[in-house]
Parts: sequence; C-alpha cells; structure tokens
Amino acid sequence: MRFVRTMLAVMAATMLAVVPVQAQEKTGVKPGFTLQPGTARIVLLRPSIRVGAQSTAGMFEPNADWTQQARENIGRALAKAQGQLGNTVVDYVEPVGADAAALAEYQALFDAVAQSVIEFQFFPGNRLPTKKRKDQFAWSLGADVARLPGLSGADYALFVTTEDHFGSTGRKVLQVFAALARVPVTAGVHKGFAGLVDLHTGELVWLNADLQMGGDVREADGADKRVRQLLEGFPGRPAAATVVASAGR
Amino acid sequence: MRLRSLFLPLAAVALACGVPAAAGNKLVVAGQRIAVAKSAMTVLPTSEWNRLGARPGRAAETWTLDGDALNDLTFYGGIESGRPLFREVSRKTKPLPTVSTTMLVTDIPALLENSYRIALGTASMTIGTIEPATFAGAKGVHFTYSFVRQDDTLRRRGEGRGAMIGGRLYLITYEAPALYYYDRSAAAARQVAESAQL
Repeated sequence: MRFVRTMLAVMAATMLAVVPVQAQEKTGVKPGFTLQPGTARIVLLRPSIRVGAQSTAGMFEPNADWTQQARENIGRALAKAQGQLGNTVVDYVEPVGADAAALAEYQALFDAVAQSVIEFQFFPGNRLPTKKRKDQFAWSLGADVARLPGLSGADYALFVTTEDHFGSTGRKVLQVFAALARVPVTAGVHKGFAGLVDLHTGELVWLNADLQMGGDVREADGADKRVRQLLEGFPGRPAAATVVASAGR
Repeated sequence: MRLRSLFLPLAAVALACGVPAAAGNKLVVAGQRIAVAKSAMTVLPTSEWNRLGARPGRAAETWTLDGDALNDLTFYGGIESGRPLFREVSRKTKPLPTVSTTMLVTDIPALLENSYRIALGTASMTIGTIEPATFAGAKGVHFTYSFVRQDDTLRRRGEGRGAMIGGRLYLITYEAPALYYYDRSAAAARQVAESAQL
C-alpha cells in the first residue's frame, strides 16, 4: 500500500513537472501590432536551412544532400505560400561579397534572438523579471538591419530558419534504453523560426518559433507542412487562407 | 555491469541537458548595493538587470537584459587557486585551466581565452587590448576580446575587468553579439563593473 502511495506521488510529481513544457507558447506578437492586408511590402530573406543527423551522443552531423533537398522543397513551399499572405511578399535579391556576410550575420542574430524568446519568453516559468511586465514582447535586431542592401522601400523583412537533426539509429536505441530508465532523451531536433522584423525600427513584431516542428523537410509534402506551421497565424493574412492552412494540417 | 557503468553517466548527462534548469531568475533593482557570485564582492547597479537562476560555476553568477545569448554580464567572485573559472563539462576529457595564486594580472585574459577555447570549442577567440586598471580598489586589468562560438556565425564582443586580491581571482566580464546588442548595454555593464567593491 505504501509502495502504491509512493508511486502515485511520484507519478503526480512527474505530471506536474511535465505540464510547464506542454504549456510552452509558440507565437509572440508585439502588443498593439496589427497588419492590414494589402498595406505593406515584405521582403522574404533567403531561408537559413540546415539538415543533418544527430549522433548517438547528440552531436549534429551536417548532411549536404539532405540540406540541398530541403532547400529546394522549402523554397517551393514558400513560393506557393507567399501569394496567400495578404501583403506583397517579394524575394530578396542576394547580395554578393561583404554584403553576403552582413546578411549571414543578421540571420545568425535573428536565430539568437528567436532562441532567447523561446528560452526566456515562451517558457513562462523562465521569464526574465524585467520582461514580465504588462504582457510585453520587446525584442529587436536593431534599426540598422534596414541598411542591408536590397531592403530599401520595404516595410518588413521575413526571416525563416529551419534546422533538423534526424536521430541516428544509435540515438534512437539510446532513447529506448533511456526511456526504460525513465530518463528523457530526445531523438532528433526539428527547429523552425519565422519572424517578421519592422524595418523602420528593427523590432521583432511577430515570431513563430518551436524546437519540435512537424514535417520532414527532405520531402515535398513534409516541407509544405513545415512551411504551413512556420507561417501559421501570419499577421495580415486573409481569414480564408488561414482556415485553408489550418484545415490542411 | 559494464553496460551499467557506461549507461549511468549517459543518463546523468541526459537528465542535465534534457530538463530545463530550475528557473528562479531574479530582478536586480537599481540603486542598491548587492553582493554577487556568493562572495564578498558587491556592486551598485544604476539600472535594472535580471540575475539568472542558472550559475556558470560555484563562485559565479550571470546577469542579463534579454537572455545570456544577447547580453551576458558575468561575475567571478574570488575563484580560489586550483579551481577553473566555470563548471567543467568533463574533468577527464576537457579539463579547464585553473586559477593560480601566483598569477599576474596579465595572465587573467589568457585564462579566460584558454577557458573559452576549451569550453565553447571555439578556435576564433582573440584578445584585443589589455591595459592596467583599478578594479575593486586593487591593481587590476581591463581587456577586450571577441569570439565566435562553435557552429555559429555570430561574432560576439566582450570586455573584462579583474584583479587578483588575496590570492583569489575577481573578474567581471560583459559580452554580447557585435551587431546592435554589444553597444546597446555596454554603458550599463561598465557602470556595474566599475562600481565593484570588496
């Protein structure tokens, strides 16, 4: 009897510990931000895509073929979705030389900001005290982001990042053994961030970010699903398109 | 038996990585002198900060404004001789350099550089300027540095102020992405570091 009681207490404690993870938020919008359809010009930056395997120890091993497949698939899926976002979304004209490095660094900064939003905003229990007040969502890349070549005349820049680590066989075996020992080991990482940055202020006005997204980006269908998830709730999108998108999930 | 000896450390590592660290991020209020890094070192911030619940080491603590990836003000409060700056991932395979009583102030930047090279797996850590400075009332050093973490393209800048006092290392570092974030809170971080007392 005592054993049963102990077990129940342990189970209850485990459930309590799991709840905050499930309650994690995935979307953030700057308070007061709205975008009317047909009012803004948005530049879609070249998505940053990395695909590879996750070794048994959890290390990332990049795979060039998978990355190439994912680039093509996500590119196609984004091109399809682009016309249904309610505003003019144009592809970014690639810079060359030093400007390309500047773009890459801004993409890296966007990733760091998105990770910080997940860690310190989307996990309510881990929120920073100075950011807890009045429902705020105050994150920025700095106003200088608008100085990147090719962004003049645009109102917003849309950043898209995906990173997939497919669990190797060894990792999956470890996961099974670890589960037997009640140790949580994840096999695979499927990160996806999509963020809209106001080019007049550098502020992040909308972000969709999750560390466990759906859709196998190496396949066309999977890439469609991933892009739907990334752009879910995109501001300024006509209601009909949103319904179609969520019905297809 | 052998499997078990292999499995237990793995399980421990998985637990440590898989479960988010106990939060407990606390507000650091402006205008109040406060002891940092479980040590006798105190600072007087003139603006608000957040103290992260997760500490980089036993005698260290981190303050931030937007998360430690975007602005990181870390205090090392009296690291004893024979101890590394922060927690070692593996003492066997990745041992970190340790503080020594006989260290000169000019050895402080080298200690940070070598610790980062090992802990962050970064090959691109460079020390910029090194100059003498008064820190917490003692003869110390002020230095700048920059680095890129492994598997990352984001360049980060940093600066440190430290001194050896009573055979222990006291050090305050501030670092942030070179783009936008570094300049944005550098003045606030400098103010905190310059207010350090023992």
